[in-house]
Amino acid sequence: MRRLLAYALLLQALMVTLSFGAEHPLELIVTAPFLEMHSGPGRGYPVVYVIGRDETVTVLYSRTDWYKVRAPRGEEGWARRADLAATVLPSGAPAPIPPYPDFTAHRFEVGAGYGVYNHENLVTAYGDFGLTNSIDIEGVIEQALGTLDNRVIATIGLRHTFIPEWKWVSPTAGIGTGYQHIVDKEPPAPRQSDNQLAYVSLGVRGFITRRFMWRADWRHYVVFNNLNTYEDLEEWKFGLAVFF
Amino acid sequence: MEIRLSSILLAAALLSGCSWFHRGEKPQNQVVAEDTDTDPSIIEPQVTRREVKTPKIKAKDFEIGAYFGALSIQDFGVNPVYGVRLAYHVSEDVFFEGFLGTSKAGTTSLEDEFPDITVVSNAGRRFTYYDLDLGYNVLPGEVFIGRGRAFNSQLYVTVGMGDVKFAETDQFALNVGLGERLLITDWLALHLDVRDHIFETSLTGRTKNVDNIEATLGLTTFF
Repeated sequence: MRRLLAYALLLQALMVTLSFGAEHPLELIVTAPFLEMHSGPGRGYPVVYVIGRDETVTVLYSRTDWYKVRAPRGEEGWARRADLAATVLPSGAPAPIPPYPDFTAHRFEVGAGYGVYNHENLVTAYGDFGLTNSIDIEGVIEQALGTLDNRVIATIGLRHTFIPEWKWVSPTAGIGTGYQHIVDKEPPAPRQSDNQLAYVSLGVRGFITRRFMWRADWRHYVVFNNLNTYEDLEEWKFGLAVFF
Repeated sequence: MEIRLSSILLAAALLSGCSWFHRGEKPQNQVVAEDTDTDPSIIEPQVTRREVKTPKIKAKDFEIGAYFGALSIQDFGVNPVYGVRLAYHVSEDVFFEGFLGTSKAGTTSLEDEFPDITVVSNAGRRFTYYDLDLGYNVLPGEVFIGRGRAFNSQLYVTVGMGDVKFAETDQFALNVGLGERLLITDWLALHLDVRDHIFETSLTGRTKNVDNIEATLGLTTFF
């Protein structure tokens, strides 16, 4: 009995903290004849509950294109994005369901991909911030894994998209600088294992669906060293990214 | 009644007649504007409009967690492995996932048979990897436990690449995986995964591709 009481107190304390921490959730009014609630956030999950017209639906949070909602009587389920976008605020204004980011005018990009750098396998990841619709500043960190050596390359540069309105395939060009660190695998060891480098790039980018996109790039690197010479390297890569 | 109606009609006719005479003097809308200027308002509303802030909907598209299991390092036995994972769900079907894991290799059968031979130094037995994967939920569904409980689940496949550091060198590794995500609640998930890290090595003599298969059990939370 004492244990039960302790559990009850603990539960209550938890509830208090939860309700204290929780923000006021968004409440929407159903305007369609009904709003379907699925048992899971996916198209195949069965409809388990229906909220009628003029009833209030509480939106808890979202996951991809699905929204976790609560019916007036407390039943919870998942509503489709398109269905929820047809509801209204109590003031009559349309529901604040954010639209998909516009691909032409998106600001952020995060992606990863595979490539070949100086005949070595390349794992690449990048982040990108759009200064305008056509000029982006991009930072790339990548690891080239070869039989003779491994390299870590970090670069920062500017990328220009010639025609951002072209959705499916649009050419790009870029320029930038960076740093390369070489970890030797087979002798002879490189004379200098840390180099500065610069690059020019040509590429293509395109929209896939929703917030999903692809990119392909070719880069020509000039690696500077203290021997008063420079090394020319080539890289190509293909990646997938999400944009915001 | 009829008199009232006819007087209204008369008034309307007179008014339209007046406007007919004023035709060309000044535009009609100016007259209307003057009228509203002179009209005194009876009640001046003193209430400032309250700014209603619409609450934002929190997106919970990220999944973070840890896992533990067994990794079979080819030629080096089966050993415990543990790691962390982070996923971003792009749509209900597609997700990006990153893994960071570590294990420690055992001995090869050659080393067991001839204890004087060392294939890999003790420090080189540490097996660490990172993976960048693309995942696809192939079979979403529900799992039933008993009569009254159903859990959402997804069977997914992943493909990706990364780096394996073994015998103190980094190798490029491809990895393929199959996993099951069982949602205990909407924000807590149990994962069962089988993944293969494939890379090329010449540690045991000839150069060959080795398969390093791991089976893990993990717990993740959505945020």
